[in-house]
Amino acid sequence: MRDLLRKIHYLINRRRLDEELENDMEFHREMSARAGRNNFGNVLRLREQAYEASGWMWLDRLMRDLRYGIRILARAPGFTLVAVLVLAIGIGVNVAAFSLFDMIALKPLPVPQADRIVRLERRSPDNYTSEMAYPSFDFYREHAKTLSATMAVLGVPPMQIDDDLQPTSASFVTPNYFTELGTQAVYGRMLNAANDASPSAPPAVVLSYGLWQRRFGGDPAVVGRVIHLNQKSATVVGITPYEFASLGGQGPDIWMPIAQQPYFIEHSTVLADWNSGSVRMWGKLAPGVSAKAAEEELRSLTNLLRGEHPDAVWKDEFIQVSAGGHLQVITPEMYRVAVMIGVLTLLILIVACANLGGLMLARAVSRQHEMGIRIAIGAGRWRIFRQLCTESLLLGVISSAAGLALACAVMQIVLRKINAPGWLSAVPDWRVVLFTIAMTVVATFCFGLLPALQIARQRQQKTIARQLLVGAQIAASSVLLILAALLVHATHHALYTDPGFGYEQIISIDPQLSHHGYTTTAAETYLDAMQARLRAIPGVSAVSLVQLPPMGHIVSRSETEIRGHKVTAYPNWVAPDFFRTMGIPLRLGRTFYPEEKNAVVVSESFARAQWPGENPLGQMLGDGTTKDTVIGVVGDAHINALSNDDATEQYWAAQKENMPDMVLIARSSGEPGSLVPAVKAMSANLDGSLFPEIRQLKVLYRRDVEQIARVAAIASFVGMVAVSLAAVGIIGLVALIVTQRTKEIAIRMALGAQPGAVLTAVLHQFLWPTLVGLAVGAGFAALGSKFLRVALYGVSNLDPASYTTAIVVLSLIVAASMLVPAARTLRMNLGSILHHD
Amino acid sequence: MPDPVSPASALPMLILRVLQTGGLHGYAIAQRIHLLSSEVLAVEEGLLYPTLQKMLLKGWVEAEWGISETNRRVRFYRMTAKGRQQLKKELHSYDRVSQAIRDVLRTA
Repeated sequence: MRDLLRKIHYLINRRRLDEELENDMEFHREMSARAGRNNFGNVLRLREQAYEASGWMWLDRLMRDLRYGIRILARAPGFTLVAVLVLAIGIGVNVAAFSLFDMIALKPLPVPQADRIVRLERRSPDNYTSEMAYPSFDFYREHAKTLSATMAVLGVPPMQIDDDLQPTSASFVTPNYFTELGTQAVYGRMLNAANDASPSAPPAVVLSYGLWQRRFGGDPAVVGRVIHLNQKSATVVGITPYEFASLGGQGPDIWMPIAQQPYFIEHSTVLADWNSGSVRMWGKLAPGVSAKAAEEELRSLTNLLRGEHPDAVWKDEFIQVSAGGHLQVITPEMYRVAVMIGVLTLLILIVACANLGGLMLARAVSRQHEMGIRIAIGAGRWRIFRQLCTESLLLGVISSAAGLALACAVMQIVLRKINAPGWLSAVPDWRVVLFTIAMTVVATFCFGLLPALQIARQRQQKTIARQLLVGAQIAASSVLLILAALLVHATHHALYTDPGFGYEQIISIDPQLSHHGYTTTAAETYLDAMQARLRAIPGVSAVSLVQLPPMGHIVSRSETEIRGHKVTAYPNWVAPDFFRTMGIPLRLGRTFYPEEKNAVVVSESFARAQWPGENPLGQMLGDGTTKDTVIGVVGDAHINALSNDDATEQYWAAQKENMPDMVLIARSSGEPGSLVPAVKAMSANLDGSLFPEIRQLKVLYRRDVEQIARVAAIASFVGMVAVSLAAVGIIGLVALIVTQRTKEIAIRMALGAQPGAVLTAVLHQFLWPTLVGLAVGAGFAALGSKFLRVALYGVSNLDPASYTTAIVVLSLIVAASMLVPAARTLRMNLGSILHHD
Repeated sequence: MPDPVSPASALPMLILRVLQTGGLHGYAIAQRIHLLSSEVLAVEEGLLYPTLQKMLLKGWVEAEWGISETNRRVRFYRMTAKGRQQLKKELHSYDRVSQAIRDVLRTA
């Protein structure tokens, strides 16, 4: 340790110490001269030897290599710029993707003991849900010893503050929610166990910093004021800080104590209902307890619960305990997507590296002279190799810095665009920096090593390296391009294909009767009255009921049995005039009678897939206990999920017991938005405690499509980047070959060869790498695109049009980038080439 | 461990030995070794200064400014506690090896 300190001291004071040593030697020389001797050696060499003793030689050499490298790079600014740009994009894309992942899944929330916060979710081999019934939560809260605290969040539909037009997002939370997260109020207080645990406590509401600024102009005096939420009065008790990190990501704008939920949502039985999955549950591991141990304890608690409430527990159910102190809990499904994005961004880096490798090789030709001279004056191959690696590293470091800056800028924009929570920042943390460094090393290794080896061995003629580079580049580019083409095609499909129902003129009205404790009879009465009043509004041409409304909050899939095998389809329960209201055409048979039993209507695609070439009417559907007869076939409609590309929908007639869950839909002949005030007034008149969620399908549809369009835009951008990178690289490589073989070409032409034949001969070596690259790329794309299926909106992941387009475009670009440099050579003056040496 | 019989690697040991009585400048070190060895060992300057440099870095000696007999500012090298230990170690191993060599010469 002391040795190291002395060494560092030497390095810092090198100049002074050197001078002192020289002084010593000069004195020595003087004295020797007096004594009549003069055998002093080369002073410079002596000093160097003395310096070598310090053990800093390697640093010195490195600095020299670096200085030389900087000179070399500065002398070719064009090359340097292109190289840095190419690599900065390659690395930047990866860093951006990683820092997004870091933000979502790795960065702990800025709360005390974030590593001990866990998310609790119900799982069984067949089932999964992130929400559990409140009584179950209560049961676990009471009994779990491995958890030092449990928190629950009950999400509810947006609520109306006073008479605002825009409803505000709201959550009910257990009173320990803020204290466990260590939140200090900006003004007032947060909810706490002492004040807010009882249903009879004065109604309290906490505002988010954002809402406080937007709605109340940041006025501290709002604390203590009484506001009305869905017309229930409540006192504002506090404001959360700007940086408040809500569990589970972006939080709502208002929070209320969960015990007061029945006060705000009148007649609600959610807190006592064992069968409604409604709260999200978090826990804090007791000190020293592992997630596994907590999971074990909860498993035995679940078995205990089964004894008390058999209905509330699934077969083989357990509570999954996973790290919860992050922005989002990454589910296995999300991991698949994350892996896919990671692979795609790595592909871009591969293209960039292959590309840069090509450029380096190409440059090696122009540097052959320099290398020759250096070897001639005694530089060893190792020395040259080291120099080249230093240059690559230099390029890598500059590009990574640029890439990191690029990624930060992009993240900054993204964060602002999505209105991210205040505690998130685009400034890279140590994980991102570490990742960037790792990427730099990997990239430098990839693009630098092969060319450096080849150059140091003075063997640029070897074609296999170049063929590998071209093949890798084309394979990676074609994967990217094919996936991009798929996504773009899917967007077009979604944008220009009819979803199968008339979304333009329909509004859906969800009164959430079951949340307000409506019985089936009460619900029926309410819905009948509401339908009658809606029909009475001038401009409303049809009204109906549906359980799972188009583009609603719930996507449901179920299995039924047909002729002994299981079939997955999207189920729905509707009133008889649903199809007419939605504008879904009846193709065969008839629709339901009111509350008709044992009858099912299926979509065209479903009928075609299950009974090809047969008459679907009268076919049976279902297992031994329930059997339904197909009574009608309707047009394909993506009601349940727009992304349901198969449009395999099944409809049953809504029964009395469905009524509390039904949603009203109304078709207007004019602008559907104009119906909203009238509907609100009617609903208030009918039951003042209900605040129906009114949605215009047109708006929802547009938002959905916009989202797809954005994904496709990103995909096409990525594809374009890949293609232009590939083009740059291939141009560089071909230019290299052509330059190397200029003389040969000139001789051949002088001997009377046709330009075309010469060209073919020169470019022949790229034919196989290109073909193999395309084939490998298409293969990987076919494998990878399976993950994309959900985002493909009705386009097959093997969609031939997308594959063909991508491959043709890429081939054209490859051909063009080969012809450009080749053609230039052919136009050169033969005489001057042959004269050259 | 350096081979104590080769004069080059014995140089640090010799330097340390002559510094035992007090600080000396580089030239004086060379002179002293030359004299004490009955003019058998002439320390090459090309070896002396890199060796001193190494010993400075290892912390066996330290340097301070002084005035030479010719009235010139020059560095005087002085043995440190660590140097004293090193000298002891080297003398010990030197003794062992030279004893071994003598034994071989006598009995072979």
